[in-house]
Amino acid sequence: MSACIEARSLSKVFTTGKRRIVALEGMSIDVADGEFVCLLGPSGCGKTTVLRIIAGLEPATAGAVLVHGKKVESAGPERGMVFQEFALFPWRTVRRNIEFGLEIRGVSEKSRHEMSSDLIDLVGLKGFEDAHPDELSGGMRQRVGIARALANEPTVLLMDEPFGSLDAQTRNLMQKELLRIWSATKKTVLFVTHSVDEAVFLADRIVVMTARPGTVREIIPVSLPRPRDRTSAEFIAVRGRVLAELDEEFEKAREKELSLD
Amino acid sequence: MSWNSALMARVKDAVSANWYSIVLGLVAVILFVVFWALVSQYLSDSGSDLSVYVPGPKSVAEAFVSSFMEPVPGLDYTRMGDMIASSLMRVFWGFLLALAVALPVGLAMGTFRSVEAMGRPLVEMFRPIPPLAWVPVFLMVFKSFWGPIGIVFVGVFFPILINVIFGVKSVDQKLIDAARTLGARRGAVFTKVVIPTIVPYLMTGIKVGLGVGWMCIVAAEMMPIQGGTGVGYYVWLSADYGRYEFTYATMLVIGLLSILTTGVAEIFEKRVSRWMGMR
Repeated sequence: MSACIEARSLSKVFTTGKRRIVALEGMSIDVADGEFVCLLGPSGCGKTTVLRIIAGLEPATAGAVLVHGKKVESAGPERGMVFQEFALFPWRTVRRNIEFGLEIRGVSEKSRHEMSSDLIDLVGLKGFEDAHPDELSGGMRQRVGIARALANEPTVLLMDEPFGSLDAQTRNLMQKELLRIWSATKKTVLFVTHSVDEAVFLADRIVVMTARPGTVREIIPVSLPRPRDRTSAEFIAVRGRVLAELDEEFEKAREKELSLD
Repeated sequence: MSWNSALMARVKDAVSANWYSIVLGLVAVILFVVFWALVSQYLSDSGSDLSVYVPGPKSVAEAFVSSFMEPVPGLDYTRMGDMIASSLMRVFWGFLLALAVALPVGLAMGTFRSVEAMGRPLVEMFRPIPPLAWVPVFLMVFKSFWGPIGIVFVGVFFPILINVIFGVKSVDQKLIDAARTLGARRGAVFTKVVIPTIVPYLMTGIKVGLGVGWMCIVAAEMMPIQGGTGVGYYVWLSADYGRYEFTYATMLVIGLLSILTTGVAEIFEKRVSRWMGMR
């Protein structure tokens, strides 16, 4: 397996007025082609910032990101992104949301229609082609978000807590759906979450981040075969290990907050 | 089944509630007309000087009908239809010019900080001036046709401008991020994210602007200048001739036209928002 994403000692400093917040410090990760990696950490640890830097939506203060050896300078269609709040265009139908990237690339109407039809099948939205986002449930909206990102045939799928605003049932269903789509499309996935359960269920490897300033604390491989059984002893063992790592960081983050006040 | 019957019950409720308020509304209107007729009758019976200012409902209704059928008192060859046409024409041109200028200026001010820094003080300087304050100068300089159009322009310009600027600033940053990760550059972000976002704001600006424009045209036409036309002008002229039943009939026409123009704007707005998939 060759390296798909290489993030080299990323740092990010936010300055608002006189306050200077170091969000990331020397954060490095590698993601191999076709790999599913979860980025896990306490809130405010900068995991979303890592994703936004890789997406090219935000510049790093220091460090660099290479995707297939090419330096990331700005956002680009080869890195698809799925957002927590879905970020669908409310004035576009399901189909036209999915076709957005294709329109930008100047794909003809006929091939757009074919490609979006395939994606609508893939994510299970048949019959909802002409619905608008406000007519859909949260889970269905995120199916549109995933299909829209896939339409550009990206090599990488960056997912920023995509199921964070869904209820528990829908969330579990969407996790299974995502794994199905992932194995059908063989994309490289970098998935940000704060749910240990979600990370253990989905990931090939879990990158546990430290509290702010964020960097890599530990990389935990999950070698359980899929589909994974949340109630199995092995699952619970991995879950326990990840939780232990994370708990220490939660504690650190809390202490830091208290000392700041 | 039960869902269906529940829906039917709700529809019935809505209809009967609607009938109830329609009947109440009619009762109020009838009461008002009766009160008006009584006052008018009383004033004329008692030989009051005020009698001339309060013609009865019947004579106003007759004036209303006749104003459409034959030339109105004080103006040869001019019927109500001609006056409506000339007023509507002015509102239309003033509105169109205002839209043509306010939309690009608003987009530029909302998008570029430097343009806003330059434009903001000018806007804040001119916006508080009531459009009608421009009447004397505009009528002197632009005369009877373009003068009122200029007044309408001023009245319509600011509501559209302010709403467009606000619309551009309301663009959801997340949608811009999403568009960028899908390969959109500045131009595409503008045409495919910013423009669709401002449409509802623009429609609000247009609706408010039309209301203001209609107020402006009536007052602007009232100026007693050579070659005056339009409904506003005739409100003044008929009163000058002491034909108050025609003054009230014209006022009625103005009210109806105002309802009509904002009604058209509202239908248009609904169409646009349905076309854009928003309700």
